[in-house]
Amino acid sequence: MLTTVITSCKKFLDVVPDNVVTLEHAFKLRNEAEKYLFTLYSYLPRSGDGWYNPGFMGGDEIWLPEESETHWHPIFRIARGLQNKETPYFDEWRGISKGNSNTNDHRKIWQAIRQCNIFLENMRDMTKVPDISDYERQKWIGEAEFLKAFYHFYMLRQYGPIPIMDKNISVDGDVASSYSRRAPVDSCVNYISQLLDSAAQKLPITIADEINDLGRITQPIALAVKAKLLVTAASPLFNGNTDYAGFTDTEGKALFNPTFDITKWQKAKDAVWAAIQAAEANASTLYEYKGLQIPLSDVIKRQLSIRNAVTERWAKEHVWANSQSYFVNEALCMPPMERSQRGGVSTIRFELQGVWAAPIKIAKMFYSKNGVPIEEDNTLNFANIEELRTATAAESFYIEPNFVTSRLNFDREPRFYASLGFDGGVWYQYDATANGSDVNNYYVKAKNLEKAGLGHFTNWNETGYFIKKLVHWESVTNARTTWKQYPWPEIRLADLYLLYAEALNEVEPASATAIQYVDKIRQRAGLKGVVESWSNYSNNPGKYASQDGLREIIHRERLIELAFEGHRLWDLRRWKKAFSELNKDITGWTILGKTNETYYKERLVFSQRFMAPRDYFWPIGNYDIRRNPLLVENPGW
Amino acid sequence: MKIKLSFPGRVEQAIVLTLFLCFFVNGFSQDNEITVTGKISSDSSVLLEEVNITLKSNPRIFTRSLPNGSYSIKVPADGTLVFSMVGYQIHEMKVNGRTVINVVMKMKDKGLEDVTVIGFGGTRKKTSMVSSITTISVKELQQPTGNLTNAIAGRVAGIISFQQSGEPGNGSDNSTFFIRGLSTFGTGKQDPLILIDGVESSSTDMARLQPDDISDFSVLKDASAASVYGARGANGVVLINTKTGKDGMPRFFVRSEMRVSGNTKNIDYADNIKYMNLANEATRTRSDKTVAEPYSQNKINHTIAGDDPYLYPNNNWIDQLIKKYTVNQNHYVSVNGGTAKAKYHVAASYGLDNGILNVDPINDFNSNVRLSKYSLRTTVNLNLTKTTEVIARMYGQFDDYKGPIGGRIDGVTYNEGGGYIFRLALKSNPVLFPAVYPHSMMPYIEHPLFGSYRLQLNGQLTSTLLTNPYAEMVKGFSAYKRSDLQPQIEIKQNLDFVTKGLNFRTMSYIRRYSFSNVTRQYSPFYYYADVKPDGKSYNLQVYNDGSVNSVGTTGSEYLDYGGLGVAIDSRIWLEGNLSYSRTFKDVHSVSGSLISYLSSYANGASFVFQGSLPRRNQGVSGRFTYGYDDRYLAEFNFGYNGSERFDASHRYGFFPSGGVGYRISNEKFFEPLLSKINDLKFRATYGLVGNDQIGDVNDRFFYLSTVSLNNGAYGASFGRNDGTATYYRPGVSISRYANTSITWEQSRSLNLGMDLRMFNAFELIVDVFRQHRTNILLPKTILESDLGLMATPQANYGELKTRGIDLSAKYERNITKNLYANIRGTFTYATSKMLVNDQLKYDKSLAHLSAIGWPISQQWGLIAERLFIDQKEVANSPRQFGDDGSGSAQNSIKAGDIKYRDINGDGIISNDDMVPIGYPRQPEIIYGFGASLRYKKFDFSFYFQGSARSSFFIDAAAIQPYNQVGGLQHGLLNVVANDHWSEENRNPYAFWPRLSQNRVGTYNVYPDGSAYNIGVNNAPSTWWMRNGNFLRLKNVDMGYNIGKVKRLGLTGGRVYLSATNLFILSSFKMWDVEMGGNGLGYPLQSVYNLGAEVSF
Repeated sequence: MLTTVITSCKKFLDVVPDNVVTLEHAFKLRNEAEKYLFTLYSYLPRSGDGWYNPGFMGGDEIWLPEESETHWHPIFRIARGLQNKETPYFDEWRGISKGNSNTNDHRKIWQAIRQCNIFLENMRDMTKVPDISDYERQKWIGEAEFLKAFYHFYMLRQYGPIPIMDKNISVDGDVASSYSRRAPVDSCVNYISQLLDSAAQKLPITIADEINDLGRITQPIALAVKAKLLVTAASPLFNGNTDYAGFTDTEGKALFNPTFDITKWQKAKDAVWAAIQAAEANASTLYEYKGLQIPLSDVIKRQLSIRNAVTERWAKEHVWANSQSYFVNEALCMPPMERSQRGGVSTIRFELQGVWAAPIKIAKMFYSKNGVPIEEDNTLNFANIEELRTATAAESFYIEPNFVTSRLNFDREPRFYASLGFDGGVWYQYDATANGSDVNNYYVKAKNLEKAGLGHFTNWNETGYFIKKLVHWESVTNARTTWKQYPWPEIRLADLYLLYAEALNEVEPASATAIQYVDKIRQRAGLKGVVESWSNYSNNPGKYASQDGLREIIHRERLIELAFEGHRLWDLRRWKKAFSELNKDITGWTILGKTNETYYKERLVFSQRFMAPRDYFWPIGNYDIRRNPLLVENPGW
Repeated sequence: MKIKLSFPGRVEQAIVLTLFLCFFVNGFSQDNEITVTGKISSDSSVLLEEVNITLKSNPRIFTRSLPNGSYSIKVPADGTLVFSMVGYQIHEMKVNGRTVINVVMKMKDKGLEDVTVIGFGGTRKKTSMVSSITTISVKELQQPTGNLTNAIAGRVAGIISFQQSGEPGNGSDNSTFFIRGLSTFGTGKQDPLILIDGVESSSTDMARLQPDDISDFSVLKDASAASVYGARGANGVVLINTKTGKDGMPRFFVRSEMRVSGNTKNIDYADNIKYMNLANEATRTRSDKTVAEPYSQNKINHTIAGDDPYLYPNNNWIDQLIKKYTVNQNHYVSVNGGTAKAKYHVAASYGLDNGILNVDPINDFNSNVRLSKYSLRTTVNLNLTKTTEVIARMYGQFDDYKGPIGGRIDGVTYNEGGGYIFRLALKSNPVLFPAVYPHSMMPYIEHPLFGSYRLQLNGQLTSTLLTNPYAEMVKGFSAYKRSDLQPQIEIKQNLDFVTKGLNFRTMSYIRRYSFSNVTRQYSPFYYYADVKPDGKSYNLQVYNDGSVNSVGTTGSEYLDYGGLGVAIDSRIWLEGNLSYSRTFKDVHSVSGSLISYLSSYANGASFVFQGSLPRRNQGVSGRFTYGYDDRYLAEFNFGYNGSERFDASHRYGFFPSGGVGYRISNEKFFEPLLSKINDLKFRATYGLVGNDQIGDVNDRFFYLSTVSLNNGAYGASFGRNDGTATYYRPGVSISRYANTSITWEQSRSLNLGMDLRMFNAFELIVDVFRQHRTNILLPKTILESDLGLMATPQANYGELKTRGIDLSAKYERNITKNLYANIRGTFTYATSKMLVNDQLKYDKSLAHLSAIGWPISQQWGLIAERLFIDQKEVANSPRQFGDDGSGSAQNSIKAGDIKYRDINGDGIISNDDMVPIGYPRQPEIIYGFGASLRYKKFDFSFYFQGSARSSFFIDAAAIQPYNQVGGLQHGLLNVVANDHWSEENRNPYAFWPRLSQNRVGTYNVYPDGSAYNIGVNNAPSTWWMRNGNFLRLKNVDMGYNIGKVKRLGLTGGRVYLSATNLFILSSFKMWDVEMGGNGLGYPLQSVYNLGAEVSF
């Protein structure tokens, strides 16, 4: 009888129903497979969020209140010199310590790559997803290849040489067989570049269905990323960098090529050119605010052209706008304004925080109104920034009339006023006045206990310079705030133009075409061309005529044009300028000051330290280094 | 599940067949029968009832003696009668044609029972056992705890047990116990299998069991005993059987107890004047600049003077929240009786456990903990035929609970409201607000006027209100109802007619369990005293009325509803057991049994797909024994078990075990020694047992991957987003990778034992054991990140060794006719050694981080050298966690902070400098000893229980004074107030480092998954490690036996006074050391109990 029990109960232990979901279901039909494709996109870095974009707070461009734990991002700790290999901050290798705590962020880049591989394996198998058209299958494969390449590039930029995860490693075997090793930089670049080429062939030139598909990867995007990749690879950090000459993997293979190779610049130039052509063929242009419906002054229109080049949704200038990450930090940029009728000081400062602060060195970086660096301007003297000056009525679209403020805030280029808010400075918002008039619009008041000044327990601006550039002019701020968030512009046409100028100057020193592309940017910024400006206003009038001089001009133009968009951190690194730039003091106005005399004193906020070559790359961290004996740590860590 | 129907069907057939056969057999009447009568008395001339009288040649002919000791039985004139009774020596008497046979039964000197329950309905003669099974006399479980799990510590050799909370509730005051210590790690089941009448039960089920209902309590410790449980027995088995009826007139038994319960130890808080002065010091001492001190001298002076308790609050939260004692009760009534055909045991109990919270009648509900426990147990034995017995059992257990609502403190959620309130008492500011303003201040307002304080930071008001622990306690309640119903039927069929010694037994039960919890609370209104310009009088102002300037959660006058937890589950069990037992030629005893069972468990409220699928086991087990002359013993056992959670290729596991015994005292050559050494036996067993309950309970079916095709976190959206919705689709995520090879965890264990009895008075049982646990399911976190796995793969690769010794000893004597005494004790030592763990291959410089070779609950910590002497020493020492050198008050280490040792010499103090320190968290030694005395009708007993070789960390972050997180601001312990580093007392070995307002530096721990900064001084280190050793007077019991009172119809009775947890010896004084690191929670209770029992 006992045997009867057993034999007749064989099914007794089969409690799992037949149709439980497995990975195979994901590729049974197009409808399911599309979700897998979207999964690949879901890993795109949240570049429009300060918690997740290291470019904002990881360098010296945007500073945060140091006594407030609320705004202590992991990435800001890196800016404060606290990076370490025990528990690295902004640890993309492990996918943790991003965001507002040390908790796991589920968007891990290595995971994204594994997902891409699973998707590609299945989509390349023609027996899977039988109900998809060949065209669409190829397009999806192209998108997945692009994303796989982009995720590799993202890691390369942060860590240098990385393992190439072209195929998924099985984990069923013993642990030792799962170890991967870092590939030399040149191999990584070649691999990513080829993958992007392969993707570009399959991708559409343009998005046909903008209602449903805008934000999907197109050929111009793939080419633009390739351009960035190759420019990065040609830049001094990766091209002929002898600092890493002895950096080898466990087998002794050199991970950096210490020999400078000019053809890398040549390839970069060609790639940028291809990207520009593809973008322009797709009707990409530099943004200009037309603004016919509201009567605005030319000055404000110019400021809007500059601001909207970033903040206008799906602007034609945006070669790649990331629909997975809208800019969500306008509240952190926008200070409370004088005319606000809302509640007491503390309440409004939860909504309008204005904590993102630009150090004075960034304010100084912008050109004078003559289009040349303030330290080079031969007509205007900015030597003493603590010198005070009273604004005139004629300057009312820059500074409140009769307002006394620093000399530094006068006579600056339009991008200064479009990008920064400061004590007494104009801040045009559509809802500040009836009908959006720019007369008597917002002026920031930033001294201690004033609306935008110190006085809140967690939210204050450490330097007195607010990041106006990232705030959309149509965001509602004088009632309950409604932010007009915009898909984060990962790559703007202006970025490509400046990359082109940069690459061209390397292969054709002091190239006129390079100057021409810089001038396109300057024109939109309301400035005269390089030659005219330097010739007339610089105490170094022939600067553009030499390769080094023009390189300096292009670099600075790039830092100004792309300020606060998360590029400076990476550009300083690839130019190997981080050592000089990130060892300077962070300074701001004396925000405790309540009067002109006490407020307008330059105050030391922090003495930044950058150790070279250690800090050019992130540490991989003990966690992973100890797991994989084939993985070598970055030098210096 | 067709089998469920067919199985009992077959049983029915068997029964019918058997009945038929029985009648057939009984058809033969026997010649030469006579009726024998007589009286049975004990050697102390007491007439004995309940003595079993059987015919030796046919045990089915039997009777029992009546209360007056008389009996009558019809037997063959040449037969032999066997008189037996528990506690007395078996007496055989040849009839030889006599019709009157009076018998004097001799009391056994042996304290331990003759037979041992071995599971699946089986029993074994103790003398023939080779496996390691501890039994405990039920009397020892009769303790005034109201929770049976708290009665076993130190009483049962082989159990490591400890209790960490005294809060009545759904398992919160249960002791945690492990058989032979913790012998596996990972996320699977670690605690033993508990079977009550064969019903798989939880430790809370066991906690609710009434000792008066128990007939046997045994613990199966080695492979030989547990392997019939196959996949379920690896962690040992606790077997409890309840009483069955005995024939005779109805016998009533009533027990009533009143218990007074209070905390074993209270935490010593500093007074509030010290609190404020030291808060000022804590602010001053960390800052080089002049900073605003939190408490003005004016406030301190007024508080000293006691001017106005509402303007200058001076709370002693412990006094305000906690009572000195509480009163509990327990009542039990049973009736037991029957005839030869039918016997019954019916028992009901009611217990009431009150919490020790001090709740004023400020609401119309009382939120103190109040746990009412009811149970009803019925057991009916029916002798359907002479060979067929049916036992029907019905058991119902019901809890009604009400208590305060739990909450979240420092990143940890405390579901037990009582523990939450105890913790809040330490974590609330005592001087910034009163518990409640008198109603007379605002007579027109009906809700309580709770006090609070709006926190300021940098001179600015914040939106944080400080937590008022009193309001937290009384603002609402959580109420749960727990019920558990277990009908059970068991049929025993004697198959002697097939072959002598053959028996069949089948048992089946259904168990239905439900639990539901609701919370009701209002949102308290908080008030503050707004001082008028005259500086003396004040108005009450509300903080949170929802108006423009309202801060915090807006108050509400009404109770809301919150559901909090539902659990429903059911289990069906069916077992059949064919057993054979016979002795040939008086010396060859042979027995065997084959057991088959099916078990299906379904969780009705798991809310996840995998959890909702039933958990099933089925299997066949066998046990075969051979004994020669009770001298040479051998046995073989096996379990062959299937579990639903593994891949079909690994679903069944075979678990064999075997053992041999040598009872040397039965040897001829031993005879000269027998007068001194009455019994001596050596035993050895070795075998394999399994554990299928590996991994999380909701993480089964390892052969399947777990994929979500609609995970919003991995979705993406596209589109213009200009008024028309974007195109969004969720994504795909994998939360588990399939692994078809995952299977049973296995335990190989060796047990060597010795049973010794000397001088008819002393007994010693010693067992030493060694266990090797393999196939422990572990995650492979050793995989590196660039693989991009979404989930950590798991595999069976963990390994662990445990070893130890357990022994019990007893000495008992009737010293004089009226004086009886016994002394007894147990000792259990169990330690473990990690062999393979989910960890890295550390190189030499980090070898100290490796857990390999250390016990499971070994703790790691920094080595604290002492406190820093001065700033110069700080500057010249390795940089410590989180010290960013910025010099900010919060992040820089100063003189008076703890100086840690840089173990790996890398110049920084980090987690790499953690070394194994102290003993494991769980004690390696549990012991107990005690004595009983009986003089005439008085009895007295006491029992000590001890624990050794454990260490714990004082949770320094939890007691760090002044630390403010959210609305909580910690209070000040006296030990900190009296002994901390300060500029005046630069003692580098002070108990507490330099005071601070906040956590210093950054040291992160993960209390429940998220990182949580506890500060560098509070990191686990030798500074905070304490020895967990203790010895406590666990029990004292004194009573007076009433004996028979004919006038009242009483057949017996006893009044008694008992107490538990009377005092403790330990080097640790801050709280009851048994609570270990949990010391700020609900304390263990000392209980004084007045009870009476009567039977009639």
